[in-house]
Amino acid sequence: MDDTASSLACHGLEKYLGEDESRVHVLRGVSLAINPGEVHAVVGPSGCGKSSLLYILGLLDRPDAGTLWIGREEIATLSDDLLSARRNEELGFIFQFHFLLQDFTAIENVVIPMRRLGGSTDGEMRERAAGLLDAVGLSDKADRSSRALSGGEQQRVAIARALANDPAVILADEPTGNLDTANSARVFALLKDLVHRERKALLLVTHNPAIAQACDWIHTMRDGLIVDSAWHG
Amino acid sequence: MSPASHIALRFTVSRKRSLALSLVGVIFGVAFFILTQAQTQGFERYFIQTIIGTSGAVIISDRFQSRYTSFSDAGARAAEDVMRSRGQGRRKYYEGITNAAEIMRVARQFSNVSACAPVVQGTVGIRSNFTSEVLSVQGVDLDAQLAATALRSQIIAGRIEDYRASRAGVMLGSLLADKLQVGVGDTVQMTGPDPKPRTFTVTAIFRTGNNIIDERRGYIEQRAAQGLLKKPGLVSVIIVKLRDPDRAPEIAAHFERLFGHRARSWQERERGNLQIFSTLRLSAGITVSLIILLAGFLIFNTLTMAVMEKIREIAILRSMGYRRLDISVIFLGQGILVATIGSVLGAAAGALFTYLVSLIPIKVTGFFYTDRFLVAWSWQHYLTAAAIAFIAVLGASFLPARRAANLAPVATLRGSGQ
Repeated sequence: MDDTASSLACHGLEKYLGEDESRVHVLRGVSLAINPGEVHAVVGPSGCGKSSLLYILGLLDRPDAGTLWIGREEIATLSDDLLSARRNEELGFIFQFHFLLQDFTAIENVVIPMRRLGGSTDGEMRERAAGLLDAVGLSDKADRSSRALSGGEQQRVAIARALANDPAVILADEPTGNLDTANSARVFALLKDLVHRERKALLLVTHNPAIAQACDWIHTMRDGLIVDSAWHG
Repeated sequence: MSPASHIALRFTVSRKRSLALSLVGVIFGVAFFILTQAQTQGFERYFIQTIIGTSGAVIISDRFQSRYTSFSDAGARAAEDVMRSRGQGRRKYYEGITNAAEIMRVARQFSNVSACAPVVQGTVGIRSNFTSEVLSVQGVDLDAQLAATALRSQIIAGRIEDYRASRAGVMLGSLLADKLQVGVGDTVQMTGPDPKPRTFTVTAIFRTGNNIIDERRGYIEQRAAQGLLKKPGLVSVIIVKLRDPDRAPEIAAHFERLFGHRARSWQERERGNLQIFSTLRLSAGITVSLIILLAGFLIFNTLTMAVMEKIREIAILRSMGYRRLDISVIFLGQGILVATIGSVLGAAAGALFTYLVSLIPIKVTGFFYTDRFLVAWSWQHYLTAAAIAFIAVLGASFLPARRAANLAPVATLRGSGQ
């Protein structure tokens, strides 16, 4: 893989968690490159460092060692505000527990990242959000309070929200872990289709073997290291 | 509207019940602060109006001579400063003013001076058919007195014109007239240093509202007073009316240096009473501010709970690119909203309460006379109340907002995922 052409790449990432006696070396030199149009799965047993890797790649946490690029920009030295800006412009997150803002409607949840990005009128933002909700099959529930949506619907809103600012990279932590089989398959198919169609990059952490097998790449982690990377494309 | 302000507004609306209590606290705190300040300052202003209307903004009295002399001006000023620092204890005073006309002519040339009135003062005995009392007699030049004081508005019986037309008329304080049991048209006799009594007709009765004045003072024509007191050609004091009474201390100090006569401002004469009013106002302000502080505590409580409840939403906002500052603004914004709405509604309620209180009938005598609640309308009360509300509410919002901004999103997301 050519690092400079990757949407997201890291080299030699190391991370420690905890202090003193409880200090754990959760990442022991992880290197990875995710290119546009690829779907990567990270699998491994609990505690192997999958989530830590995801949060560092998502600029929510800083590595103790190693380098990280988004596109051609090395982001290790960026300030907290600039990291926030990169998250807003370049990354989209999908979490297992979807984490919608409960006081907001479905469409308002999708608009939230756009407001931070700026540059669009209220009408433009709502129009784009409506389109994204339509893409995930929720056009008829756009104005419903997020509390009134089912788990599957909430996760689809979270996917629409992750795509709101047209990010180059989508990071997902067990995106189907809280859904039934039918919804799980539907959500994954939606994401995969989007990545291939719009040449975005997707990295997802999953325990679901079926989902992992359907990805282009499977990275197996153990004890803070990627012990195997297999191409399934 | 910024993205963070937009979210703050939505969070506030969704927590309207818990924030409503804080809002009510701010509204009542601001309203009561305005009301108490309006009342205390209303009475204070009326008291000041009474004393200035009765005795002038500045009173020029006895001539003095420094006991220290110097050949140089600088030395004289230094000695003067020393005397002032020692409470003017190094002066020798000579009773009265012998060149009153000249002093008034010069004083009137000051732009701040609007009128001057010479007064001959002394104490005489006064006797009616009922009893005898002591009278603090004021020999006045009627026109000058009317121009320099509020005497015309203080007349409650009789007419100024009757006094003017009378050759030996007297205007008596209301309480003194009560004691003597005399009314307009009755005669009284006054006895001064000359044991031969002189007869005067009561042509008017005045009420300043200040009991000390109303039970002792009477006005007669100036020459009659000079004759009665055996002070021919002497003036005891000159009452000076100022366009800007607040500048009386500077004018008084300047007059002392210029005329070599003692000059006292109303602030100096009434220092003790004014301190009572200031203390009352401060005390009321502090007491009522506690309501606002209590509202601030409620907001602190509400926002701290909100931060705990929204901990996952804060993490997700951070993951979407919202900065620490944005998160602070979301929670500070809720405080700002409460403080703004509370200040506006509190100011409106304060104005309404102040108006309603001003309609309450209440009879006050002693320092001054009034038959209704006195209130002062001042934008400063509203500004101060709003400032206290903002300081209390923003102070209370700051800690929860900072806590929210400093939350590490990873810790929340990691915890939620397990």
